[in-house]
Amino acid sequence: MFVPIFKRAALAAATLVGVSIVVFLLVHAMPGSPGKVLLGLGARPTEIAALNQKLGWNDPLVVQYLVWAGNAIRGHFGASLIDGHDIWSDMMTRLPVTVALAAGATLASAVMGIVLGVVAAVRGGATDKTVNTFAGVSASLPAFWLGIILVFFLAVQVPVFPASGYVPFNVSPSLWASSLTLPVLTLAIGGAAFIARQTRASMLDALTQEHIRTLRATATPTWRILYVNALRYASLPIVASVALQFIALFGGSVVAEQLFALPGLGNAIQKAVGANDAPTVQAVVVVATLVVIVVNLLLELTTKVLDPRLRAQ
Amino acid sequence: MTTPLARALKASSSAHPLKRLVRSAGAMIGVAWLLVVVIASITASLWTPFPPNEQDFTAILTTPSSAHWLGTDELGRDILSRLFAAGGDALAIAAVAAAVPLAIAVPLALWSASAGRRRETVINRITEAVMAIPGVIIILALVGVLGANLMAVMSIFGILVAAGLYRVFLGQAKSVQSQLFVEAAQVDGGSPLGISIRHVLPGLTNTIGVQFALLFAVSLLVQAGLAFLGFGPPIPAPSWGGMIQTASQHVYDAPWLMIPTGLVLVFTILSANAVGDVLAQSADAPTLQISIGRSARESNRRAALIERESVDRSILTSSPGLLVSDLSLALDDGTTLVSNVSFSLEIGKVLGLVGESGCGKTLTALSLLGLLPGGIARTGGKVAWNGAAVSGLTESSLSAIRGRKIALISQEPMRALDPMFTVGSQLVSTIRRLQKINAQAARAEAATLLDSVGIVDASRVLRSYPHQISGGMAQRVAIALALAGKPELLVADEPTTALDVTVQAEILDVLRRLIADRGMSMVIVTHDLGVVADICDEVAVMYAGQIVETGPVTTVLDGPEHPYTMALLAADPHTIEGVVGRTSLASIPGQVPAPKDWPRGCRFADRCQFSNPDCSTSVSLLGRTAGRGEVRCVRAEELLLNATVWATEVDWESVALEAIREPS
Repeated sequence: MFVPIFKRAALAAATLVGVSIVVFLLVHAMPGSPGKVLLGLGARPTEIAALNQKLGWNDPLVVQYLVWAGNAIRGHFGASLIDGHDIWSDMMTRLPVTVALAAGATLASAVMGIVLGVVAAVRGGATDKTVNTFAGVSASLPAFWLGIILVFFLAVQVPVFPASGYVPFNVSPSLWASSLTLPVLTLAIGGAAFIARQTRASMLDALTQEHIRTLRATATPTWRILYVNALRYASLPIVASVALQFIALFGGSVVAEQLFALPGLGNAIQKAVGANDAPTVQAVVVVATLVVIVVNLLLELTTKVLDPRLRAQ
Repeated sequence: MTTPLARALKASSSAHPLKRLVRSAGAMIGVAWLLVVVIASITASLWTPFPPNEQDFTAILTTPSSAHWLGTDELGRDILSRLFAAGGDALAIAAVAAAVPLAIAVPLALWSASAGRRRETVINRITEAVMAIPGVIIILALVGVLGANLMAVMSIFGILVAAGLYRVFLGQAKSVQSQLFVEAAQVDGGSPLGISIRHVLPGLTNTIGVQFALLFAVSLLVQAGLAFLGFGPPIPAPSWGGMIQTASQHVYDAPWLMIPTGLVLVFTILSANAVGDVLAQSADAPTLQISIGRSARESNRRAALIERESVDRSILTSSPGLLVSDLSLALDDGTTLVSNVSFSLEIGKVLGLVGESGCGKTLTALSLLGLLPGGIARTGGKVAWNGAAVSGLTESSLSAIRGRKIALISQEPMRALDPMFTVGSQLVSTIRRLQKINAQAARAEAATLLDSVGIVDASRVLRSYPHQISGGMAQRVAIALALAGKPELLVADEPTTALDVTVQAEILDVLRRLIADRGMSMVIVTHDLGVVADICDEVAVMYAGQIVETGPVTTVLDGPEHPYTMALLAADPHTIEGVVGRTSLASIPGQVPAPKDWPRGCRFADRCQFSNPDCSTSVSLLGRTAGRGEVRCVRAEELLLNATVWATEVDWESVALEAIREPS
C-alpha cells in the first residue's frame, strides 16, 4: 500500500521539478531582461546591464535556478517586475478566486453531467438523442463566447447577475456567490457535456456487465440496479473525468477571469506574460502545476478507496 | 454471448467508416460546412467586399445592411470581410496543431507497443508526467517567449497534447497487436517495429481520422481563446478570437457583434466534432447491450400486449413442473435465433440442454427467467412453471418469480458477482429481499447457505470481495446466491465450464446434493456430455436454434438416433473408453452456421456424414424409434436399422506406427 503511494509522490515531485526547470528556461528565453522591464523604455543600456548584474541575471543558469528553487521552497518568489508587490502574497489573494471558480464550475458540471449522462443511459431513445445533441453542441461552444451570451441575457437584458467584477467572500458571501455565478456557468456547460458523455458511456458499460444479470435474476428492483449497483460500478471512470475537468477548468479559468474581470491566477499570468514579468510567470506556473498534481494524487487515492480490487493491493 | 451471435450482430453494424459518414446527415452537413469555410477563407481576398482593415467611420457598429452583409465593428470595418480574411490562418494553424500530436503519438505508441514492458513503462511514466501539467498555463508562458506567434505556440501545445493521445493509441495498438494475424506475423519473423507499421498501423487509421477531427476542433478553440486573451495576431490583423474579444466589449451597445463571428467559429468546431464522432462510432461497433432500463421497458410493452391474450395462459394451467412450448427468439431485426423449442421437465428432475456454442442453449435458458439480453425478444411460444406463465410477464410480475421460484447460476462465477461489494453484503441483501427477514437473521442464513454449498470458512468468505476468492469458491457463492430465495427450479448455464477439472466435479456434487435435499428441479446448459451423464435425468440436444433429439439420458446417450448426437458422442473424450472398438476421437467438420445462414431443410445436413437429397426438406420432431422422446431426422429410423455409427477420422499417426512396427 505504501510503496505505490511513495512512488506516486516521487513521480509528482519529479514532475513539479521538471516543470519548474522548463519554465525557468522559458522565462529566460523571454524577450527582455528584468533590468529592461524594471527600468522601462527610457533607460540607458549601461543602467540596464548594471541592474541585471545586481539581480544575478548574468550568473550561470544552474546557479540562478538553484537560488530560485531554494527561495521558492520557502515561499519566496520575489517581487513582481510590474508593480513591485510580493508575488507570494499576491498569489495567495488570487488563488482562492481561481480555486473557487474552478471548483464551482467542476461541481456544477459534475452535477449536470452525471444527471444527464445517467438519464441518457437509462432512458435511451429520444432522451438519449437529446442529451447527446446537447452534449455535442455544448462541447463545441467556446467558453469566452458562451460567457458573452450569458452576460447579454442574464446581466444586460435581465440584470440578475453582475456582468463583471469580483466581491471577496469575507465582504459579502451573497455578492461573492452572485459575482461568481456567470463565470462558473460559462465554464461549467462545456464541462457538463464532457462528463455527461463519460457518464453515459460508463453506465452503458456497467449495464452490460454480467453481474447485472445476476442482480436481475434475484429480483433486485430496477432502481436499485441502476442507481446502486451500476452507478457504483461506473463511478470510477466518472470520478476520473470529474478530476480531469477540474484540471481543465483550472486552466480554462484564464478566459473566464478575463471576460468577467476576476482577480485570479489566470488574470495574473495573462498580465505577467503581456508585460514580460518573468518572476510572476514562473511562480504562477509552478503553483498551478502544484495544484494540478495534488488533484491528480487525490484522484488516485479516491480511485483506490472506490475500487475494492485496487484497495487490496 | 455466444460467438456466432456476436459475429452476426457485428456484421450488421460495422459498415465502412466513410459509408457511415455519408449516411449520417449531421456529419455530411459538417463536411459541407467545413468545405465552404475552407474555400471561402482561401479565396477571401478575391470575393470579400472590403479589404479587412478598411475603416469607415460613417458606419460604426452597424447591424447587417446591403453594403455590410454582416454589419461593421467599432472602427467601421466590414465583419464579413474580416471573418474570412482571418479564416485562412485559423484553419491552417488548427490543421497543423492537430497534425503535430498525431505525428508524435502514433509512432511513439507503435514503438512502445512493439517493445518490451520496460520501455513501455518508461514512456508511460513520462506521458503521465506531461499529462499532469496544466496545459493552458504553459501555453501562456510559451506566448511570453515566442510572442504572439500562434503557429509556433500551437505546434508546441501539440507536444503536450501528444501525451494524452499516446494513451489512446497505445491501448488500440496493443489490442490490434494481440489479434491473431499479427501474432502469426510475429512467428514468421521480422522486426517488431516493422510488423507494427505493416500490420498495426492500418488498424489505427480510423482512430487517426477521429482524433484529427477532434484535435482540429480543440485547436480552433484554443487558438481563438489565445486571441481572445490578446495573444492573437498583432493589431489590426483580424482573428476570430480577437473579434469576439471586441464583441465582449460591446455587449451593451452592439450585441449583434458577437453573433456572426461566434456562429462561424461554433459551426466550424461543431462540424469537426460531428465528423469525428461519426467516425468514432464505427471504430467501436456496438455489441449486445443488456441495458436493463431499456430492455425492461421494451419487454413491459410487449408483455402488456401479450397479457391481454389471457386465453393463451389458460392452456398452460395445471401441469406441474416446467413447460416450454414452441418458444421462438429473434433479434430485433428479425433474425431468428431459437425456433419452436419445446420441452418439459417434471419436478425433482434434471434436464440437460446440450449442443455446441451458438446453438441457442443459453438464450433458451435465459428466457426461462425472462432475462433475454437487449435486442433479443421472444417472438412466439410460452414458458410456464407449475402451470403459471413465466413468459410475457412485466418486470414487476417477473420479480415474484426470479430468485423465489426460478433461480439462475451463470457460466463465469467471477463475472456473475458484483466486484464492488463483499460476498456478505451481496448475499445478505439478496436474502433479505427474497425472504423478507431482518438483517441479523439474513446474516445467519447467509452463513448457513455457504455451509450448505461446501464452504468451510464462511465468515472469511463473507468478508471477502469476489476478486479475493478462487473461481470454484466464487461458483459456490453464486450457487448460494441462487438458493437465497429458496427456488424450486435452478437454471444453470454451463456452471462448470470456466472451472478447473477437479473443481468441476465438486461443483456437480454440490448441485446434485442440493437438488436431492431440497427437492429442486434443474435445467443445466452444457456442451459436456460427461456432465449430462453425471447429473441429468433428461436431455435435449440443440442444434442451430432447434431441438434435434430429446429423451431420457440413458436412452439418448446409449442409443443416439440423430446424427448430431452421434457426432457429439463420438467427439466427446469421456465416451471413448466406454464405446467398444473406438480408439480415436472424432471431430465434427465445419461449425454451427450463423443464424442468418440456416438452411431451409435439416440445419445439420451440411456437416452430416449421412446427408442425402431427402435432407433438404424441412424436418419435424417425431417420436423416437426406440424409447420415449423425439428426434428430428428423416433418416433416423433407417440409420438405426443399419446400426450406423458416426465415423471417426482415420488416425494416421497410429497407422504409421503400425507400419513401422510391422517389419520387425
